[in-house]
Amino acid sequence: MDAQLLVIIAGLVLVAVVIISLVALRGYSGKFRFDTENGTAPRASEGEGNTPKVMFKGRFTGLIAGVGAAFALIVAKLWSMQMVSSDYYEQLAEENRTRTITTPADRGRILDRNGVVLVGNRPSLVVTAYSSLADDEVAVRHLANLLGLPYTAVRRNIQDNSEGAQSAHTVATDVSRRVVAYIQEHASEFDGVEIAQRSERQYPYRTLAAQLLGYTGTATSEQLNADTTDDPGAIAYESGDVVGQAGVELTYERVLQGIRGEQTVRVDANGNVTGQSAAVEAQPGSDIKLTIDLAIQQACESGLEKAFEAARQQGYENAGAGSCVCIDCKTGEILGMANAPSYDPSSFVGGISQDVWDQLNDEANKYPLMNRAIAGQYMSASTIKPLTALAALNYGIMTPDSVVTCTGYWTGLGEAYGQYCWDHSGHGPMNLQSAITWSCDPMFYEIGKGFYFSDGNTDGMQQTYREWGLGEATGVDLGGESTGRVPDAAWKKEAFSSYSSDDQAWNPGDMTNLAIGQGDILVTPLQMAMVYCGLANGGVQMVPHLLKSVVARDGEGDALSYEAKERLRVEEDSSYMDLVHQGLQGVIYEESASTAAHFSNIYQDGQQVILAGKSGTGEKTGEDEYGWFIAYAPYDDPQYVVACLCEQAGFGANSAMYAVREVFGAIYDSPDDSTVVASDGAR
Amino acid sequence: MPTRAQQRQRQQASTRESLRIVNKKAAQRRGRARDGVFLPVVIATVLLVAYGCFVIWTASLSIEEASFPRQLLGVGIGTVLAVCAWNIDYRMFANWSHVLMVLDVLLIFSPFIPGLSYEGGGMTGWIRFPIIGLTFQPVELAKLVTVLYMASLTAEYNGTIDSLRDYLKLCVMLCIPFVCILIQGDLGSGIVVFVAGAVIIMMGGPKKEWVLSTIGLLVGLIVLFFAVNSITTAYFDTPLIAQYRLNRLLVFLDPEGSSSSEEGYNLLQSLIAVGSGGFFGRGIGSASASQSGAGFLPEAHTDFVFALLSEEFGFMGDLLLIALYLLLILGTVYIAARTESIFGKLVAVGIVGMWTFQIFENIGMCIGLMPITGIPLPFISFGSSSMMVQLTVVGVVQSVWRHKAKPA
Repeated sequence: MDAQLLVIIAGLVLVAVVIISLVALRGYSGKFRFDTENGTAPRASEGEGNTPKVMFKGRFTGLIAGVGAAFALIVAKLWSMQMVSSDYYEQLAEENRTRTITTPADRGRILDRNGVVLVGNRPSLVVTAYSSLADDEVAVRHLANLLGLPYTAVRRNIQDNSEGAQSAHTVATDVSRRVVAYIQEHASEFDGVEIAQRSERQYPYRTLAAQLLGYTGTATSEQLNADTTDDPGAIAYESGDVVGQAGVELTYERVLQGIRGEQTVRVDANGNVTGQSAAVEAQPGSDIKLTIDLAIQQACESGLEKAFEAARQQGYENAGAGSCVCIDCKTGEILGMANAPSYDPSSFVGGISQDVWDQLNDEANKYPLMNRAIAGQYMSASTIKPLTALAALNYGIMTPDSVVTCTGYWTGLGEAYGQYCWDHSGHGPMNLQSAITWSCDPMFYEIGKGFYFSDGNTDGMQQTYREWGLGEATGVDLGGESTGRVPDAAWKKEAFSSYSSDDQAWNPGDMTNLAIGQGDILVTPLQMAMVYCGLANGGVQMVPHLLKSVVARDGEGDALSYEAKERLRVEEDSSYMDLVHQGLQGVIYEESASTAAHFSNIYQDGQQVILAGKSGTGEKTGEDEYGWFIAYAPYDDPQYVVACLCEQAGFGANSAMYAVREVFGAIYDSPDDSTVVASDGAR
Repeated sequence: MPTRAQQRQRQQASTRESLRIVNKKAAQRRGRARDGVFLPVVIATVLLVAYGCFVIWTASLSIEEASFPRQLLGVGIGTVLAVCAWNIDYRMFANWSHVLMVLDVLLIFSPFIPGLSYEGGGMTGWIRFPIIGLTFQPVELAKLVTVLYMASLTAEYNGTIDSLRDYLKLCVMLCIPFVCILIQGDLGSGIVVFVAGAVIIMMGGPKKEWVLSTIGLLVGLIVLFFAVNSITTAYFDTPLIAQYRLNRLLVFLDPEGSSSSEEGYNLLQSLIAVGSGGFFGRGIGSASASQSGAGFLPEAHTDFVFALLSEEFGFMGDLLLIALYLLLILGTVYIAARTESIFGKLVAVGIVGMWTFQIFENIGMCIGLMPITGIPLPFISFGSSSMMVQLTVVGVVQSVWRHKAKPA
């Protein structure tokens, strides 16, 4: 029904009621009147018992009882509130009146081993606004135009309460001085807009060691909801906190993250701050020193570029991804760890855009976020041959004097299963040491075959690989490490469980493939670097690590230093080790003229530095070869191990070799002046 | 020699004359102020007004709208009106029931009269006198008029309502101002008027069974209303009362659970203010540290003034206030008991009913005993309409006392 009609009907009914009431009231008039002039006795009362006094006595008792009950109820409730539960309401009142504002603390910086800043902080001008500004559409639009941001984004930022409702909300970071000047000149138009200085992550060397250093971002919901009760060192994050999300930033988050400052403020009902009380200053996080040496790290990066350049000149168009690691084998300190392609972590500052994020996760861009040194899994190729040789010696498959004659085509498993040596023309008679030097495959085919048909030692080769740390994580202080894979009969049965039993069978061919590092074996560049650390260090591998020390807050000295730990120790006959060393030295100086040319010009204090190493070339169906090169120096008392892998860059000796050479050039300050370009290196 | 007839005539004339003189003398004696004032009620009123003014003064320190001078102006005008009311022989109203009713209805609906109506700051139910520009809340005055009107009707029965017909008539007559105030949209004042009128009728001498069955009927009607409401809501999706209004009424049953609504928030803030007052209160002058000073407590100087008072003066301050109210109310009951005239008794008990319920409702609302309705706390709340009318009511009470003696 129409509302107006209702009102009219109600009005008519009301008028009718009033008229009827007036008529009804007429009956009462004249019945009883006071004569105020002369006084009038009330209508006669009937009998003594009916005097007003008697009549009203009980009624007044009732009235007083009613009044008393109402007030008693009030007093009882007041008693319970003000006398019994006063503390509870007092506490509610306190919660009402105070709010806590947090002030962000600077993150600790990340330094190289010599104190050079790899990740620093820089002041950034930010525009902040109080949430009340969101109601003023004109001002918000004006601000959005000025900042060059969409109106809705600006409005959303203003209304975002993640930094606390009472604090000013960040609208835009890294605002130009021109915009700041404009806002300050037109302050009256931007009521509630303020300019503040914040600290943002700064990367002086841009893409350098990006995967290693990692990036920061605002706390994820997982980090926000993490249960911190059982872990005394855990940080309870608040929405909006900047948290390390990858690499060293993530691993050493607890050291780098500062302690938020807290300011308790008094507020009125509208949320306006009326006063301040207890304040706790923000404590910046500690700086950390990494084991990384900037010069070596830069050499790792530029070496990879040189390797790719060389590969491309040889026609390997897909070259461009790879990893180069330099480790001090005596301590396990990682001196350099480069990955290509790289990215600029500063694109994560202030929140990464979806476009950039998608690009960083695009296969076409070769996954720049990936730390290939620890997470990339590749077949080890010929770099595994020293371990195969040691396995053969230990299990008696070969003796140092055993000779296998290479014709370029090996038919040890029968004509039908013939396999080529990488050098189809054949190496002639080879003992173990020369087989390592020349990377002669038939020797290792024989070893694989020998193990396969041996009595009780059928997986002796895999045992040796595992003893040297393959197939398990190295324990480096970075997240996301891959374990690699050492394949054996049990693994194959499991992996091919959905195939026929013939396919599940561990064949002699699997074993001969494994012996030369092809097939199903998977290793990370860091794992291979650790194997060569062990070889160089007499069988001892130290845990690879990146943290050198935590710098004391006052900047003087170290609050905490990393202590080197042993990862594993392999007991090998020293004569076997010498055999391997000599074989590996031959790789550098005998096997290939071009490798020898590039490595014969490294000097320290006028003395030539002698190196040993091994190249390798992984073969993957449908892709160009994966090139490996690993070397250590000095030969007599090895300290530096450099390992490099280049994806789809051709033979290791013709690609990854350049990167390794570049790193040793940086270590010994001996730039590579050899211009020999040859493709005669072994695979 | 005058004839007997002449003598009788003269005698009668002299008798009439002497009676007139006696009456006049009696009237003059009653007219003396000392005898015409019942001191306990006056003292209670003066102390309450002083207490109220002090509270409003403290409120004015942090609340801009709480203008202390304006409150004093209300007290001043109210005092003048009270003295006028005291001087008027209230008994003249006894014969004016129909005039009073028309006046009552006119008062209640005056905010709808074009030219008079005044709406500002979201308030309704105000009028603004043209030319002088004074604003006034007529429903406050309607409370007093209704008391006089119901008392005049009930007094006709001289203390005993013998027939059910008469009782029902009185009930219907009470419903007129009640329904009018409901239509005008002020549930709180409506209930105040209803309770005051109901007290008058009950004191007027109906049979107990009638009163009890009326109360039973009212309770039954309310229950029926909610039952039908829930049925229509569930099956026809047409609630009789909008859900938000229902919530507003029932919020006091669960203040912390409904603090997201405006009423729930207001109530919670009021509870915090009262509770945190403790025994001696938080004192005055801590404006930014208090619920009211920092603006958490809504309407801290008007409807929720009791919460402000409680926060400042604590349980002791509340007890003092309640003691003063009890002195005022019990003093008025005493006057009612001592007054010979039935009309006088009924006016006084009507006023007692009005005060008691209004105080109970307002304080009860602040401490979560009663639903939230916008009625002021007599003598304390900021607002000159209420202050003027309440002081006038005290004047009427004193007038009842002054004219209590049985005329010769």
